[in-house]
Amino acid sequence: MRKNATVLEHRMESLVGLILQVGVITSASLLMVGLAWHWWVTGSLTFHYQIKDLNLFQFVVTDLHLAFTGQFRPRLFLSLGIAALLLTPYIRVLVSVFFFAFVEKNLKYTLFTAFVFAVLTYTLFMQ
Amino acid sequence: MISFPWLFLVSLSAGFVGAMAGMGGGIILIPALTLMGMDIKHAIAISIVSVVATSSGSASAYVRDRITNLKVGMYLEMFTIIGSLAGAAITVVSSERPLFIIFGFVLMGIWGVMYTQRHMDWKPAKNPDRFTRWLEMEGAYYDKAQRQEVAYHGTRAWAGGPMMFGAGFIAGLLGVGAGAVKVLIQDMIMGLPPKVSTTTSNLIIGVTALAGTSVYLAAGLIDPGLAAPVILGVMLGALLGTKLLVRISNLMVRRFFMVVLLVLGAEMLVRGLLGAL
Repeated sequence: MRKNATVLEHRMESLVGLILQVGVITSASLLMVGLAWHWWVTGSLTFHYQIKDLNLFQFVVTDLHLAFTGQFRPRLFLSLGIAALLLTPYIRVLVSVFFFAFVEKNLKYTLFTAFVFAVLTYTLFMQ
Repeated sequence: MISFPWLFLVSLSAGFVGAMAGMGGGIILIPALTLMGMDIKHAIAISIVSVVATSSGSASAYVRDRITNLKVGMYLEMFTIIGSLAGAAITVVSSERPLFIIFGFVLMGIWGVMYTQRHMDWKPAKNPDRFTRWLEMEGAYYDKAQRQEVAYHGTRAWAGGPMMFGAGFIAGLLGVGAGAVKVLIQDMIMGLPPKVSTTTSNLIIGVTALAGTSVYLAAGLIDPGLAAPVILGVMLGALLGTKLLVRISNLMVRRFFMVVLLVLGAEMLVRGLLGAL
């Protein structure tokens, strides 16, 4: 039984590690593309813009909408890079909920991770 | 307006020094950014985004080394995210001077803890209480230095959890990872081996920082154009710092970092008290 649990835990660890790694690399790549493009167009790497009156959820949806409608420009890449970064721990928690609920079938930890997921989801929509 | 090269260089150094001392870069980054003319709330907001990056980056490696205890992490996260939300909400409505003063005190406090703990050794937890056993806080990891499997269990989870609210609060309030506080609670209160508490703290930091980031983002304090070079700089700095850490003696790094803490702490405190922001 214990050996079985260890195998499951190792699978979970590999999965969590992979999610974090993919998230960070995706984010860094998007940020670099955004900065490089901005530099190509303007000759300067310095630029800034504010995110006004958006919560995290609206921020992500706006970016994805722009991306899917093909409205690419440097600041979209920066926004997508930041969105990818912020969604990385969020997805890690979501996957943990599923793991504890359906793979390890551990009610206690399903509830714990679900609580964390619920609070993070609330903050996503916070104004 | 701070220009890109400066922003990148300062973040690189902060990530570098932070990683060598086994911490994130926030604690150095924020004082440095305010010295460069950024107001402290924007500095805190940008720093906390970069904390998500460094935490996720290093946690991805640690988790796969099978040292991180996921259950301990998931349990403690429940407390840190609530603390982080509360802390960030206070910073958003606070004026600047108290933030300088609190930051100064926290830096001095960490210095004090590091100073008094110079000769303290970690002791394994004796008998876990019933609540900790119920939480299944046990595990084993392979220690590369000792070349053997180390089995361990935690204790006093009932105290460690609520104390983590405080660690999360500091993280959200000041835009730092507060890893030092998180490690201390796991080492000294919950009796987890230092390697387990350091790596588990790293995993928790990402989620804690995300909760705080949402508050700062909704308050309009995050400027992606400024955040991008900071994120990339801190990430690269941390990567280089971790590589170099293996080669430099631990004691030297610790001494250097303690001097940095003391100087920055005093500087923030004086600026806050004199109102010379």
